[in-house]
Amino acid sequence: MTTLFGLSNNTTATNTLGSNQKDLEVVQPPDDAISCMKFSPIALPQTYLIASSWANDIRCWEIQSNGQTVAKAIQKHDAPILSCCWSDDGSKVFTASCDKTAKMWDLQANTFVQIAAHDQPIRTIHYIQRPSYTCVMTGSWDRTVKFWDTRQATPLKQLTLNERVYAADVCGPMAVITTADRAIQVYSLDQGPTEYKKIESLLKYQHRCVSIFTDKSKNPNGFAVGSIEGRVAIMYVDTTNPSVDNFTFKCHRSTPQPPTNTQDIFAVNDIAFHPVHGTLSTVGSDGRYSFWDKDDRTKLKTSDVINDQAITCCTFDSRGQLFAYASSYDWHKGHEGNVQTKKNAIYFRQCFEEMKPKQKK
Amino acid sequence: MGRKKKKQTKPWCWYCNREFDDEKILLQHQKAKHFKCHLCHKKLYTGPGLQIHSIQVHKENIDKVPNAIKGRENIEIEIYGMEGIPEEDLRSHEKRLAGKDKDETDNTDTMKVSTPLSLPPMPPISMMPMTFPGMPFGMTSMPLPMMPPVPMMTTVRPPIPMIPSATLLQSAPTKPLFPSGATGTSHDTNSTPNLTTMASAAAAISNLSTTTSNSLFGNKGKIEPVAGTAKIIHPDDDISLEEFRASLPKYKQIMIPQQMQMPPIPSGLSMANFMRPTMGGLPFMVQPAGFPPMGFNGQRF
Repeated sequence: MTTLFGLSNNTTATNTLGSNQKDLEVVQPPDDAISCMKFSPIALPQTYLIASSWANDIRCWEIQSNGQTVAKAIQKHDAPILSCCWSDDGSKVFTASCDKTAKMWDLQANTFVQIAAHDQPIRTIHYIQRPSYTCVMTGSWDRTVKFWDTRQATPLKQLTLNERVYAADVCGPMAVITTADRAIQVYSLDQGPTEYKKIESLLKYQHRCVSIFTDKSKNPNGFAVGSIEGRVAIMYVDTTNPSVDNFTFKCHRSTPQPPTNTQDIFAVNDIAFHPVHGTLSTVGSDGRYSFWDKDDRTKLKTSDVINDQAITCCTFDSRGQLFAYASSYDWHKGHEGNVQTKKNAIYFRQCFEEMKPKQKK
Repeated sequence: MGRKKKKQTKPWCWYCNREFDDEKILLQHQKAKHFKCHLCHKKLYTGPGLQIHSIQVHKENIDKVPNAIKGRENIEIEIYGMEGIPEEDLRSHEKRLAGKDKDETDNTDTMKVSTPLSLPPMPPISMMPMTFPGMPFGMTSMPLPMMPPVPMMTTVRPPIPMIPSATLLQSAPTKPLFPSGATGTSHDTNSTPNLTTMASAAAAISNLSTTTSNSLFGNKGKIEPVAGTAKIIHPDDDISLEEFRASLPKYKQIMIPQQMQMPPIPSGLSMANFMRPTMGGLPFMVQPAGFPPMGFNGQRF
């Protein structure tokens, strides 16, 4: 197989054990933990990667077809950035920060202007593009979700939730938001953001990430939620038979070893769905990434522990060729786990083949 | 003398019905879970104490005890450990003690590992999710019989198009939100589900209710071990890693509200090639190959 990078075949062939030695590394990573990463949308012919960090910055690289990465540009907030996203046309990048603002980065003009404000740090940011409108959705620890026009200082719409927003995702006409009380709220976006359904979580511990998945026709029909208790719930929004369709699975847990036989259970830090195959990846505080097939309910692959530290976030490029993951400290062990000598790194690898669902025999 | 009243119950938390072996731990729990200020994380001693703190320090009234179950949210009742619990609640709690769930034991991964077709074998540790390596309570965790694969085929949804109307929202759980939901999910193609997989998934679901042994309503503060041999590597259940981290002095000092402005250009950061593109009309996306050198030769970060 010819790789996207034009490197030799053995790049992918020797990569299957999950060692990250052959995974390529993005140049000039942030100086502190990486909070969120997104590849450029399919509208752009080139592949760019943005990553936000606890060092207050958002960086953009071009990922060239030979696997080289080129640092393109950087912008800064006044406080750590917790989330970032692209506009659908790839011309703009949006960032949500602990400085309680969200900003819009116009990549052509290289302007970076505030477009949103909350009373507390903003945890999530998503771009919404529907036939009748476009806006930016921000979710904050101030227990509100706001929808912004980007040109006005007041939001188009504001929703108040019972708890702090911990994770959110947007895909086509669907938005999902989950909060500190493990409530899950699904919104329908086509007629403006409308509450669609509250869904009882299958998980019993703090939610940490949520990612929408689609059916075979690429229409969103459910989501995966990950918790701090090494577990992911696959939940369909409109299933007639939730007890059969919805399920949870364990992940990011250590294998108990004698003599103590203690098992460590790690948080699921991020979930991403493959844009072509519909399979998913999870990354955890245990420093591993895993690939799963939710339809077959099988695991496709688990990596080794990368760099002996957590993986904080992951993402697929819009064509499904690349899987990127960020190795940095997520604070799951508090101060004692904060080892300055460990580096923050972003790796990426060819994933199209290994994310393929296994053929039925 | 000498005839002590028989202790019938362990200390328990009135706000969330959780039991504790020691009243000291209960007090710690209440401080951390129910009497903690959500704004500054200061731990108070009672509900009224928390309320007064919040009003005086943050000018914000709290009318409910955080993380309390329904009916127990009253912040004005002064409860400290086991003291102050209304008599009727004490009695009803004793009644409730009858049926308690067993703890769940976890294995590493519950999804079955598919045998890679074209890939070399994976590290063996991740290959044995169903083998319960060294799992003392292993068997108790899989009480469910195998779930038959047949129901998988019954998930085809009625082809009703989406009508986004607020009134419809609650009353029509079976209507697909997104038109394609009507075409059925990809589960329908899954005609040969692996029994092992199904069983483990089913077990995983069944175990959800038993994961948190003591908390009837899933309200938990400090994370308890899910089983005697497992521990969750995460500080708190009621605060996210990001919130915890953002409250650290390192990050907090830069969170002083600032005016809206273009970001300042810090000097002396070691980001060799992160040049600041010149403002105005840099063809960022138009010709990425031809980033004009001038564009990246400007100020450095």
